Amino acid sequence: MRGIATKISGVAPLFLLFIAGAVSAFEDIEKLRIWPLPAEVSHGGRRMYLSEDFKLVTEGSKYEDPSGILKEGFDRMLAVVRLSHVVSGHRNSSSSGGSALLEGLHVIISSSTDELEYGADESYKLVVPSREKPYAQLEAKSVYGALHGLQTFSQLCHFNMKKKVIEILMTPWNITDQPRFSYRGLLIDTSRHYLPLPVMKNVIDSMTYTKLNVLHWHIVDTQSFPLEIPSYPKLWNGAYSPTQRYTFEDAAEIVNYAGRRGIHVLAEIDVPGHALSWGKGYPSLWPSKNCQEPLDVSSDFTFKVIDGILSDFSKIFKFKFIHLGGDEVNTTCWSTTPRISKWLKKHRKTEAEAYEYFVLRAQKIASSHGYEIINWEETFNNFGNKLNPKTVVHNWLGTGVVGRVTAAGLRCIMSNQDKWYLDHIDTPWQMFYANEPFEMIKDEKRQSLVLGGEVCMWGEHIDASDIQQTIWPRAAAAAERLWTPYTKLAENPDKVTTRLANFRCLLNERGVAAAPLVGGGRVAPFEPGSCLAQ
Amino acid sequence: MVQLEYGADESYKLVVASREKPYAQLEAKSVYGALHGLQTFSQLCHFNMKKKVIEILMTPWNITDQPRFSYRGLLIDTSRHYLPLPVMKNVIDSMTYTKLNVLHWHIVDTQSFPLEIPSYPKLWNGAYSPTQRYTFEDAAEIVNYAGRRGIHVLAEIDVPGHALSWGKGYPSLWPSKNCQEPLDVSSDFTFKVIDGILSDFSKIFKFKFIHLGGDEVNTTCWSTTPRISKWLKKHRKTEAEAYEYFVLRAQKIASSHGYEIINWEETFNNFGNKLNPKTVVHNWLGTGVVGRVTAAGLRCIMSNQDKWYLDHIDTPWQMFYANEPFEMIKDEKRQSLVLGGEVCMWGEHIDASDIQPQTIWPRAAAAAERLWTPYTKLAENPDKVTTRLAHFRCLLNERGVAAAPLVGGGRVAPFEPGSCLAQ
Repeated sequence: MRGIATKISGVAPLFLLFIAGAVSAFEDIEKLRIWPLPAEVSHGGRRMYLSEDFKLVTEGSKYEDPSGILKEGFDRMLAVVRLSHVVSGHRNSSSSGGSALLEGLHVIISSSTDELEYGADESYKLVVPSREKPYAQLEAKSVYGALHGLQTFSQLCHFNMKKKVIEILMTPWNITDQPRFSYRGLLIDTSRHYLPLPVMKNVIDSMTYTKLNVLHWHIVDTQSFPLEIPSYPKLWNGAYSPTQRYTFEDAAEIVNYAGRRGIHVLAEIDVPGHALSWGKGYPSLWPSKNCQEPLDVSSDFTFKVIDGILSDFSKIFKFKFIHLGGDEVNTTCWSTTPRISKWLKKHRKTEAEAYEYFVLRAQKIASSHGYEIINWEETFNNFGNKLNPKTVVHNWLGTGVVGRVTAAGLRCIMSNQDKWYLDHIDTPWQMFYANEPFEMIKDEKRQSLVLGGEVCMWGEHIDASDIQQTIWPRAAAAAERLWTPYTKLAENPDKVTTRLANFRCLLNERGVAAAPLVGGGRVAPFEPGSCLAQ
Repeated sequence: MVQLEYGADESYKLVVASREKPYAQLEAKSVYGALHGLQTFSQLCHFNMKKKVIEILMTPWNITDQPRFSYRGLLIDTSRHYLPLPVMKNVIDSMTYTKLNVLHWHIVDTQSFPLEIPSYPKLWNGAYSPTQRYTFEDAAEIVNYAGRRGIHVLAEIDVPGHALSWGKGYPSLWPSKNCQEPLDVSSDFTFKVIDGILSDFSKIFKFKFIHLGGDEVNTTCWSTTPRISKWLKKHRKTEAEAYEYFVLRAQKIASSHGYEIINWEETFNNFGNKLNPKTVVHNWLGTGVVGRVTAAGLRCIMSNQDKWYLDHIDTPWQMFYANEPFEMIKDEKRQSLVLGGEVCMWGEHIDASDIQPQTIWPRAAAAAERLWTPYTKLAENPDKVTTRLAHFRCLLNERGVAAAPLVGGGRVAPFEPGSCLAQ
């Protein structure tokens, strides 16, 4: 134990203190885990404890925090650190054997903007001193890097059950950190089941704990259309019921809530398949009353509606990307509906070519509204060379796709269903951890085309009652794969079991209903026992 | 300090006028009645999706309301799994939505002892780990949080069985190293510790009742441990009489600290006529008990496991709704001895990941109506209230409470895509 030896004279008390220090260090090691693992970490062997009046100091920072993003993030950090126990201890105790008071956090941000830009610098540098300095130091290029630093800081804080104060052990800490991938996402599905706003906000808050930064909002699908579209107000007649809907302002609120936490919201309207619900309000979008999918390719009205939706989206969804779906298109209703089969003949298109035409025309509309496009992988598999060259291909079907996509010079994001589908509850967390976005790609130029990936929480069996235990902790395992440098990842996932179990218990202490590690997704705990063992 | 009195008036009168008056009116005898009125008011409010304002439909409203039973409880178990403070607070908030008013905190048991006891600081060495614990101030915080919402906190220390974890810090409480339950009846130290615990409890647990457990006592370790079997012989007690002696002595200690006592029903079944006459008997084993308890002039609360155990996930909400605390009792005097009841969320398979989510709600809400609503207003056939309960379940979801679908028993995932109201 560094530092204690210089304070004590005499062998016996030194020995006792050494033993006490060693015992408490073993006890403490259980607590000293950070998830996801930062790029570079070093620490010492002392302690600091947090002042009851822990301050945020920003002298020397270029960032003026015009809308309070940093201040709110700091307040949230303190609130979450104080959530699980009442801090009733007195800070002036001199019997604490080597502790010192940390008065606050000095945050220095070099960029003055608070615009959330995809690909911007998310790095931070965090220094927690030992006795000599009363302030910890957090440096970042942008406020969003600083928010990540606050997350890490919050995981260094622990409640000392004896002294009843918040402490940071193993000081001094020196952490330099930045994400490996710039696109680290979670998909939620509000069409198969409506998710109320508080539930979505809980999910967003939990994402920040693991430094995920993209919420892919799969808003509508076959079963329901819950979002208000001002340009076409009957579309949300496709909602399950009048109250299971999001107003336009509700959607803007979600984007704002996420944005202030450094999370982009990727809106998806899946076309031309997965769109049956659109016809509840506008039946002419259906091929016919008896054949209701995909959207009618022969009708200009279809594309007017898409244009209206994207025009409305451009007012609230400010992420540079839009997701246009394009998966699982069964074109039978086009060829069996006379009006449309005539159109196919007239334009000399096969069903497959009509599918291609639809996707490309939707892409052009999205481009006209300033978006870059993400499409599911069938679009690439079927007509990859015709796609808008800036298309990002979203891999979901299986392995090997990322290789072909990057070989074609296109960007890619990973959600291969055998490893990163959260609704597959028999996929254990180890497989989430081990899924490598680069797969077999060695070429650096092609690696740079892999933006990152997403874990997908499809909603067929997910609603407000079980979403959090199905997402966590398995999404956290993937979050480390997406954040931590490749060389720092464990080759054998079982090696991080203790650290992930600790993180899962931390989530629980924060009121996030993360499931036990043992068993696949959302199992009940098998038996009575310690949180750390389950 | 919060002055929350058991049995005080919880009634309220709520009037929401039509056009003429700009204020709705809520009258109550106590602030806790007013809190119930606010809950009802909150359920009259709806978001108008077109006008995007909060509305109250079907005015004017004239509501006069009061609970049928004064004791409307939920048991949580923090020994089988540690439940962090935010999780307990979420549970407390959800209880207020259904007007439940007693949180029965089964704090310690065989598996772990998570609470700090200042008089005997090594007791919480029986916690699963140093961090899976409640400081004394944490417990006071829970009592305060609940109290400000009109909810009493009933603390339980289950003795002499279900107490293995006590010996982690004080091994002399065990009959022996190899035989660790029940608590050592022959040792005065055992009762000193109980006295210390109850003395500390009296500083933070201000509910007039304390729960002393007394269930499922396997006395084998008393007769097989030489020191204790000698004590039995010396005092001419059988094992059964020693069990009785233990419970009664613990009751006296609790009384000395100003508490009225609740005990699990085995104590009544085995020596009912010896119990402190103000004992409230907690029925859990099955039907028929409430009849015998009230016939003996004792008070009773219901938690019969075949209908009101939430950890029995195959018990559907209809059975929670239909469980009648009075059972077959017609006599009004005896009915008055039935204080109410509790649904029990035992923790063997419950932790922060699935407690609130789906295992408590909505089934506890079905029981909450049985405990609040006048008997004549209850549905004889529970299926008749399906739509209203489904609506309430969706309301819970909208408030961020992860209540499970109605279809299927406890904590099922939704069967298929669909409207919240249909699941």
